[in-house]
Amino acid sequence: MTIKPQDIEALIALFETSEWDELHLKIPDFEIFLSSDPLARAPGSAAAAAPVVTTAPGAAPSAAGPASAVPPGVSPAAPPAVSSVAVQPHWIAVKAPNLGTFYRAPKPGSPAFVEVGQAVTPETEICLIEVMKLFTTVKAGVAGMVRQVCVEDAVMVEFGDTLFYIEPA
Amino acid sequence: MSLKRLFVANRGEIAVRILRSARQLGLETVLGVSAADTQGLGAEMADRVVVLGPAPAAKSYLDCRLVVHAAKGTGCDALHPGYGFLSEKPELSRLCESVGVAFVGPRAETIEALGDKLSARRLARETGVRTVPGTDHMISVAAARAAAAELGYPVVMKASAGGGGRGMFKATGPAELEASFDKAAREAQSAFGDGRLYLERFVERARHVEVQIVGDGAGNVVHFGERDCSVQRRYQKLIEEAPASAVPDATRERLHEAALRLTRFAKYRNAGTVEFLYDVDRDDFYFIEVNSRIQVEHPVSEAITGHDLIALQLRVAAGDGLGLSQSDIRIAGHAIECRINAEDPRNNFAPAPGRITRWRPPMGEGIRLDTHAREGYLVPPFYDSMIGKLIAHGRTRDEAISRMLSAIECFTLEGPKTTLPLAAATVAHPDFRGNRISTRWLEDVGLPDFQTGRGGHDGAHRIPG
Repeated sequence: MTIKPQDIEALIALFETSEWDELHLKIPDFEIFLSSDPLARAPGSAAAAAPVVTTAPGAAPSAAGPASAVPPGVSPAAPPAVSSVAVQPHWIAVKAPNLGTFYRAPKPGSPAFVEVGQAVTPETEICLIEVMKLFTTVKAGVAGMVRQVCVEDAVMVEFGDTLFYIEPA
Repeated sequence: MSLKRLFVANRGEIAVRILRSARQLGLETVLGVSAADTQGLGAEMADRVVVLGPAPAAKSYLDCRLVVHAAKGTGCDALHPGYGFLSEKPELSRLCESVGVAFVGPRAETIEALGDKLSARRLARETGVRTVPGTDHMISVAAARAAAAELGYPVVMKASAGGGGRGMFKATGPAELEASFDKAAREAQSAFGDGRLYLERFVERARHVEVQIVGDGAGNVVHFGERDCSVQRRYQKLIEEAPASAVPDATRERLHEAALRLTRFAKYRNAGTVEFLYDVDRDDFYFIEVNSRIQVEHPVSEAITGHDLIALQLRVAAGDGLGLSQSDIRIAGHAIECRINAEDPRNNFAPAPGRITRWRPPMGEGIRLDTHAREGYLVPPFYDSMIGKLIAHGRTRDEAISRMLSAIECFTLEGPKTTLPLAAATVAHPDFRGNRISTRWLEDVGLPDFQTGRGGHDGAHRIPG
């Protein structure tokens, strides 16, 4: 039996709509471990074992999210978490609209657009994505409170990378 | 090689093809993909994959700045654009240069000069490469008759302000010319508000013939023979072969010389193709345009010369020069390529995206398959429909044909409908075997015969799909 990307997506969708804390499926040549706790590790896995997919339920409604978008054998270049508070299921991820360089502030030396703990409206500008000197502002898209900044300043992000988590009001 | 890391700004089979040569040369590779292409052969082959944007090409593969930003941001020192997408955008070449990334293609000015039809024709005239012979405005029947005698019949009268075939009249002799001159002028006047006409040679039987060249950017250019791409539907090539065996040797030499003259004058850098219309009845050829990129059909030229054109492109981009002279390039045998498109040739070539449920490609002497597809691959609906190219090489054209036919027969492909059955019917057709086709043949003869089951069939109907 061959597992297709669609099958994995279906499993993740199923998991997200369930009440389960963990899902662990193992068949010949394939193993998947899903957990609602981002810090969870697959049973029996060493530091970085076989395919491990962790997902914050509800936080990643898009099938094109980083977890499922990275092909096997490629280091996902996961952006280092700036603050490492456990992501809560009801937080909303703000994702990169395209590849580019992520900037937290309107210009070097100025204060960041937003800080953790700050209240935002859907129209609040929260960061810049730069592509060859062309800057695009990204808005929060939701009213709530900034809970996590997921990317270091001035780092290249890819389409679909999570930039912020916002706890909806 | 002085290059270290190559950015591949394309998808599908050509991304896989470029990655293959880059890896053989020991280059590190980064593939820029859309969200629809994160899983696949190309993504597995590349050392790193970056997701540029969402599935629509306008927001991923067609965004120059995004692609160059990604190349720079991943530390690449060269960028290969493949074909299609941004490959012939001068802006991409210019942007790459501005950030110190070597563009695997011509300089921006060359792309501009050749991409514009009028300036390309001017360049052709300056280097003595002929375009379709024609005249200026004809003010009288008498002047038209004299001009037509010089051009040689048949000629076609065209409205100076026209287009789309309106106001066009063909004349096979002086009588016909006189009879329709006034009518053509009147029709031009009423259709375009301008009754002026000009004359052009009419090419009754045309073949599309093109010369593969590679230049070093300093005026040195070599050619890798020519290709015949006359099997076309709506100007889309379906089957290509090399050499163009319908062209006599003496004419073929003049063809190569013309292509070299033009591209040497332009100090052409990297791989390009000079396209000509070959007039079968007059045994003459006319310049059409230059394609300033690697082309889909480059494998047939690789097959008959034994050279890796992508590797040569990378070498030139690295600034290492051509590393070979014309005498190092020898033509051996004959090669044919069939494009495999996920389209239904029995249903007006309707796109047929979907999952490939069975994929058992053929193998054997002289057979090459360039593809990114495999069993389980989902042909996405966002991009062009080509899923691969089947290439057969033999000592003779007949041997290439028979190898192609048995390869298609052995090809098990289930899921989307493809153009393979049409390719088999075409290659097996007596007109193709006899090399009697023209650029209109597929639409006038090949397709109707395929759809009604006429023509020559070597098991063409046993091919699934």
